[in-house]
Amino acid sequence: MREIKTVTILGANGAMGSGSAGVIAAFGGAKVHMLARDVEKAKQGIEAAVASVKTDTIRARMIPGSYDADLEKAVAESDWVFELVAESYEVKEPINTRIAKARRPGTIVSTVSSGLSIGRLAKAYDEDGQKHYYGTHFFNPPYKMILCELVTHSGNDKKVTQALGEYLDKVLGRAVVYTNDTPAFAGNRIGFQLMNEVAHFAEKYADKGGIALMDEIMSGYTGRAMGPLATADFVGLDVHKAIVDNIYDNTKDEAHETFKLPGYFQKLIDAGKLGMKSGGGLTKVVKHADGKREKFVYNIKTGEYDPYPKFDIPFIKEARQKIKDSDYKGAMDVVKKASGFEADIARYFISRYISYSLSLVGEVVDTKENTDGAMGFGFNWVPASAFVDFLGGPKETIKLMEQSKIPVPKLLKDAKEGKKFYELGDKLDARSLFKG
Amino acid sequence: MSEKVFVLGGEQTDFQRNWTKEGKTFMSMMREVLDDALEKVGISYDEIKRLNKENRVAVFVGNFDAEQYANQGHLGAFLTEVNPALFGVPGARYEAACASGSVALDAAITHIRAEDYDLAIVLGVEVMKTVSSSVGGDFLGTAAYYEKEAKGVQFPFPKLFGKLADVILERYELKEERFMDALAEISRINYANAKRNPKAQTRTWFMNKEHAMARGGDNNMAVGGRLCITDCSQVTDGAAVTILASKDYTKEYAKKTGRKIDDIPRVKGWGHRVAPITFEAKKQESVGDKYILPWTRQTVKDAYKRADMDVKNIDVFETHDCFTSSEYAAISAFGISEPGKEHIAIEEGTIDFGGKKPINPSGGLIGVGHPVGASGVRMMLDLYKQVTNTAGDYQVKGAKNGLMLNIGGSATTNFVFILGK
Repeated sequence: MREIKTVTILGANGAMGSGSAGVIAAFGGAKVHMLARDVEKAKQGIEAAVASVKTDTIRARMIPGSYDADLEKAVAESDWVFELVAESYEVKEPINTRIAKARRPGTIVSTVSSGLSIGRLAKAYDEDGQKHYYGTHFFNPPYKMILCELVTHSGNDKKVTQALGEYLDKVLGRAVVYTNDTPAFAGNRIGFQLMNEVAHFAEKYADKGGIALMDEIMSGYTGRAMGPLATADFVGLDVHKAIVDNIYDNTKDEAHETFKLPGYFQKLIDAGKLGMKSGGGLTKVVKHADGKREKFVYNIKTGEYDPYPKFDIPFIKEARQKIKDSDYKGAMDVVKKASGFEADIARYFISRYISYSLSLVGEVVDTKENTDGAMGFGFNWVPASAFVDFLGGPKETIKLMEQSKIPVPKLLKDAKEGKKFYELGDKLDARSLFKG
Repeated sequence: MSEKVFVLGGEQTDFQRNWTKEGKTFMSMMREVLDDALEKVGISYDEIKRLNKENRVAVFVGNFDAEQYANQGHLGAFLTEVNPALFGVPGARYEAACASGSVALDAAITHIRAEDYDLAIVLGVEVMKTVSSSVGGDFLGTAAYYEKEAKGVQFPFPKLFGKLADVILERYELKEERFMDALAEISRINYANAKRNPKAQTRTWFMNKEHAMARGGDNNMAVGGRLCITDCSQVTDGAAVTILASKDYTKEYAKKTGRKIDDIPRVKGWGHRVAPITFEAKKQESVGDKYILPWTRQTVKDAYKRADMDVKNIDVFETHDCFTSSEYAAISAFGISEPGKEHIAIEEGTIDFGGKKPINPSGGLIGVGHPVGASGVRMMLDLYKQVTNTAGDYQVKGAKNGLMLNIGGSATTNFVFILGK
């Protein structure tokens, strides 16, 4: 396993930078150079890191510094340089040029990016640097969300990849998912496909309940703690846009059209309504004078906010009760047999999610365990393979896909009946991700 | 004794789960764990139906406080909700605070030994995340003498086991620094072991010796005298099942599953003693005794005697480390060290995962989590895994015999079982 004693964090004051630094200093026991635009910001990053992993023991080995004064010296003595500066080539490339000049041979350099090309960023380095350059896509907050997508590119050395993967897994306690250098990698490609297509359906069914209805249909009984549109509101519509635009511009797959940003998302973004971080987006919460909070939802037709509605959809109620009783297959039977357009939509998206996840094996990842891990550990969504088992196996799942006119991935066509399809059960109990 | 009661295996829930957050209850937990356990052991509900017709199967539910945590009593009858195959099967709930799982095991073992039943399903269960930690702390106070030791006290149990730490320090005239270092090492070992256990509550939590030693401050607060958060096990939601069987049934089972009966572990010894309920009375009674918890030691001795064994025969231990001080006291109770010299065994690595007498390779209560009524059953399941070489990443190499100590209250109800092949 690779020994990593000294690490430099660039972007130490951001939520991801400080959270990642906390994990590295605590689990890895490493000395960490915390670099930000100025030392004060770096000091704030150190306190945030301490708070994130709740141990004062790391404070003494975190050294604040600034890019201008300390980058070269810090990088020169580091075994790993972890860059988490703003998500654009314009910001990342000049920083990489400086790192490339200062790094010692053998030093690993990695970036957190939701979608930039790792291969392109690696170009700032010489041959040894390219060999040691990776995407290490941590999820927020890093201490709690243990997924790390380890993104490789064609210039990497398999031995270095293996050693880094082992370090991330065994020392830092990450659930490591290996992905290829493709737009948005595995987790975001799958997650944002679903979120964006659900957003389109919200527009299509704006008269029937729009955003709130879609989140109701895709609620906990479909294997996620938070509805897909609530998730988009949580991450921010601007971030959502950046991710889907990147995938739309750089991929051409069966779901290509579903990555187009819905018009009302753009409208909200233009109005500065970016989601929870800006006080409102797809939904908003208003605090009344008496201290009570009321939730509102954006009406796509009128552009106004309406009180968040409650729904009474019998099959969802029934499925939820089954989940509450830990009868997961029973819940899926309810979904399979239900009638009405809401049930059609539920079946469509369950099929789409499984189909799209499995279709990326071979392109984005090498095995389905990697997409399953990405969704289970990164999004807290029931992994596609586990869904296949809850639906009653490959044949039943294929039937559902065909009914919903969703392409059947080869992996599913080739799967053996009567054998568990989900293979991460010992690491992640998929049942825990259903909410009743 | 050792030819009478066999353990066929079982299963536990993932102790990291928060069932209330999932919108599920103790009932869904019972359903999942029993389904999983039967599948793992290879016994179907049809088989239970068959045995029930001949009145050969019974269920034993260990639970401490569902009345307060889940507003539900009569848990022994709840397996009938899991599956209709359990209609008519004799079942009851057993309670002895944190030793509730063991008292259920004890009842099951006794019935099989008496040849009343051929198969016993023992299920320990507790949901605890239904209330805040301070409310839960008050509920747990009923495992002590509530009126005298817990009423109006915030988190009474850390305080009681903090007193145990004080007595150890005073009686054995230990150097405080060395003693506290030993307690921190117990914490470090349990957390490190739990990292290998895919069902452990703390498997993704940060902990190392440095942090365990950094007592005080916001991130490792004092909760009971000298004891800080890192010295405590933490409550969680969880359930565990172990399935016990008579020799006759085990023979049938071995044949059906293609196993050899010699490869199936059996309960070789047990001990059960109750000490005075208040900690003060325990302290007074033990003045002049080598052991601060003489009844805990006696329970271990009883089990050794019944098994015709000694510490030298035991390859692995699962102990009740509700606090680091309770595991510390257990080291001499097991006979691993002389009383007062426990710290030496710790310093020498004897109880570490790779040591001569590993304690809590699962992570123990500190690492795996402590869903009160489930802990005893979980310990038995872990002994089963160890002696059948099926513990995966936390397997102790070559373990043949294991011993568990499960205590209720401030070491009041003491249960010990020895399992081996």
